[in-house]
Amino acid sequence: MMAAVAGFGAAIGALGRYGTTRVIQRWTGNHWPVATLAINWVGCFLLGGLSGWQLDQPLTVLLGTGILGGFTTFSTFSHELVMLADQRHFGAALGYLVLSVGGGLLLAASGLWCGLHFR
Amino acid sequence: MANVFAIIVCAFIGGGSRYLLGVVLPVTAGFPWATVLVNLLGSGLLAWLSHAERVTARWPSAVSVGLGVGGLGAFTTFSTFSLDLERLLNHQAWGVAGLYVGITLIGGLLLSWLGVWSARRWWAFPVEEES
Repeated sequence: MMAAVAGFGAAIGALGRYGTTRVIQRWTGNHWPVATLAINWVGCFLLGGLSGWQLDQPLTVLLGTGILGGFTTFSTFSHELVMLADQRHFGAALGYLVLSVGGGLLLAASGLWCGLHFR
Repeated sequence: MANVFAIIVCAFIGGGSRYLLGVVLPVTAGFPWATVLVNLLGSGLLAWLSHAERVTARWPSAVSVGLGVGGLGAFTTFSTFSLDLERLLNHQAWGVAGLYVGITLIGGLLLSWLGVWSARRWWAFPVEEES
């Protein structure tokens, strides 16, 4: 039952990612993985905030595991990183890695702080 | 429209499977096994899918979009990875945090590369060679 709740949320999250990616790529082109970076950053911040709120389980599964888990993505991140390296954009690849992991970590921490202080 | 429908169906399955794996493989010794597993497996498969032209040419492009963006995109997750990492660092579990980052990043990149390489080698259309 909870798996269906997570799946339902993930469908919403994935659609949000698909739409956001298309809108951002219309401005930036698809040479640089700006869309995935923005999506993962926003998702990290919101998941941090959600975890600070400490909601009950069904809601956490729907919003956290489902929507935000489905909105953010690791597989596209690592594929884009490999393709940047494949095209010999090593500096961009390193920048993308550091910004994604470091930024995601900082945003998750600030989201958690906000969630704990504003509820 | 076909893309949207395919993404909904595949993301439902991808996200549901990620949840179930989390139930089957709970966090032991502070290590989030399930998140590592979905991210490594999903990275390899997405990279393969993106380059395996001889396979994806057999079905409508909406199926590939659904499987990639929806299924594997929702199966893997970046937000849980970051929040797990934040928790480990917050509890000063430096060793586990280091292992988690190392295995996820090195493993994810290695499997992505392996997916791209194997798909180009065995599942891409042959390149016409100049004679």
